[in-house]
Amino acid sequence: MASLDPRIRRAEPELWQLPERPLQPLEHWQTYEVFTLRTRGGHAQHVGSLHAPDDEMALVLAKEQFARRSPCVAIWVVPTSAILWTRPEDEDLFQPATDKSYREPQGYLHTRERLEKYRDRLKPIDP
Amino acid sequence: MYGNLTLRPEDIENWGKKVHEEDPEKLAEFEARIARGEKIEPQDWMPFEYRRQLIRLIEQHAHSEIIGALPEGTWITRAPNFRRKLALMAKVQDEVGHAQLLYSAAETLGKSREAMINDLLSGKSKYSNIFNYPAKTWADTAIIAWLVDAGAIINQTTNSKGSYGPYVRALERICWEESFHLKYGYDSVVYLATGTPRQRAMLQDALNRWWKPIMHFFGPPDNQSVHTEKLLKWKVKLATNDEMRQQFLDMYVPKIWELGLSIPDPNLRKNPETGRWEYSDPDWDEFWRVINGDGPCNKERLAVRRFAEERGRWVREALRSPQARYVTPLA
Amino acid sequence: MIEILEELILSLADDDLLIGHRQAEWIGLGPILEEDIAFASIAQDETGHAQAYYQLLTDLGLPTPDEYAFKRSPAKFRSAHLVELPNFDYDYAIALMRHFFYDAAEQVRLEALRQSSYEPLAGLAERLLREEKYHWLHAHTWIRRLGHSTEEAHLRLRAAAEQLFPYAWMLFEELPNESAMVELGWIPPSSELRQRWLDKVLPLLEDIGIHLTTPSEELLLPMKGARHGLRSPYFDDLYAEMTEVSSSDPEAEW
Repeated sequence: MASLDPRIRRAEPELWQLPERPLQPLEHWQTYEVFTLRTRGGHAQHVGSLHAPDDEMALVLAKEQFARRSPCVAIWVVPTSAILWTRPEDEDLFQPATDKSYREPQGYLHTRERLEKYRDRLKPIDP
Repeated sequence: MYGNLTLRPEDIENWGKKVHEEDPEKLAEFEARIARGEKIEPQDWMPFEYRRQLIRLIEQHAHSEIIGALPEGTWITRAPNFRRKLALMAKVQDEVGHAQLLYSAAETLGKSREAMINDLLSGKSKYSNIFNYPAKTWADTAIIAWLVDAGAIINQTTNSKGSYGPYVRALERICWEESFHLKYGYDSVVYLATGTPRQRAMLQDALNRWWKPIMHFFGPPDNQSVHTEKLLKWKVKLATNDEMRQQFLDMYVPKIWELGLSIPDPNLRKNPETGRWEYSDPDWDEFWRVINGDGPCNKERLAVRRFAEERGRWVREALRSPQARYVTPLA
Repeated sequence: MIEILEELILSLADDDLLIGHRQAEWIGLGPILEEDIAFASIAQDETGHAQAYYQLLTDLGLPTPDEYAFKRSPAKFRSAHLVELPNFDYDYAIALMRHFFYDAAEQVRLEALRQSSYEPLAGLAERLLREEKYHWLHAHTWIRRLGHSTEEAHLRLRAAAEQLFPYAWMLFEELPNESAMVELGWIPPSSELRQRWLDKVLPLLEDIGIHLTTPSEELLLPMKGARHGLRSPYFDDLYAEMTEVSSSDPEAEW
């Protein structure tokens, strides 16, 4: 059976006689995590993972998979194995147990009320 | 682009079997999180069955992208002008890119890319049935880019509201890129539909051949599908096959008719009373036959994939570092 | 004078058109997904460069890029035989080595064209160099990394380099009316460009243990005349395939 694809026809007949040889573990290399900086002055953002054989190739390969359409001024790559993360069961680390409004702007919504209430006290102090 | 989650007989058989005794407290917490509309991230606890179904869904989606690059790839070297040639290259490149994103998303669940590709090549893991049909003429590329990608967008937009973080993130980018495919496909179809008699005949012929596979694209009718309550509850599946098929017909049948094309189904009509589309049986036996390996291009698609992996082997081996160790991608 | 300009631009454009065409055959068949994507971008860039070169001629009232690429008689092509060669057995060493030789040449040519007295060409070269930067990074990184890896990779690269070197050498075959082009300040002489190209590629190949010598006249003979319209034995099939759809209905717009 001949392929309709001229590219594939050029690979025949060997195409039909290839041995079944399963891929070996790590044959597609290790993974990296990729970050892009979309504009100067912004934050670099995680955009996905990449398979690459080493740091240098990771940068070369990341460029077209993660910056061929979206705006980008810089790419960072880091081996996945180098990243540390907090566990989901520790999510409560990030939830305060007591009122922390004193360090938020919203903690200071009643200043004007106080001022209005004691407006009569707002006069110059006699020397 | 890709087809819908398809349950095979062996999945149906194993369905509901207690593969794992799940901790009821953790399960309740997990389900409550999904019910609140929160996403599940790779490091979270999740039921075994959730992980298994997601791996299968995302893996099948990834395979569909990499195999889906082949029918259209058929026409890259023959595209008729610069604009089409460049767009087709970019589109097929995107499909390969989508496979890359999706394999990574599936990897976060603990299955390596190598294992997934091995399962594709051995036939253990499936891909969307539609790519087992040949792209015989240039017009086929236009129909695929318009209507098959339209189906894929409906499917993927639905899935992008799912519960698994990495899959949702991948789908966001994929849907954005597919919207270019859809525009390109429609533009291409319109040029043929408004072209010479020969072009119009070519387009009608392509539509005639692709209509049945497109009807199959969303999977078997709901009354033939196994119950998917749990998958719906876990937001792995978000709409039934028939719901998505109806949505597709609603959106695209009028556009097809507008171009003066006829759809090869005399019974296709929207029932004004129910508001639902009615159509002839698109031959579900053929659907199952093709899924089980007996389609016009099944053999070629897998042979080409195997060929590509074989040809690339020395390159990958050469750069493989002995110090490398595998770590599941993070997100 | 416009005929002389056409000769120059076509030699540049045809090379890009056909290398892009050959590289595009790899889309979906690359050695690993990430590289498949990178190489597909390079193929697109080269095809886009061809289109931009033809457009310089269109701007002077000559045919459109589509007419040049899809409706020209084969004898009017000016491509070097290097870019017409098929992908043979889909050996990635061949693909990478051709890419390496070609993009080194492209860089050398574009750097020279920036100084061209023909301003539209100089302006275009300036823009194209932006994309060439990635092509060259991609090419030399791959060659160096593979060149320092396994025995098999080394042997494959060496075989590819030896096979392709004479073809690559002929990228710099003297153009028809070249002396006029040089006199007008459009380009430096091809022999000078070739020397710059050799200075770029040979040290990198030496570094990975591949030593190439000047190809004999006998080897080069079959490729002579490419810039004058002599096509390689592979051209006809390539052209028939590339124009299969466009020629199937000459009245049609696609």
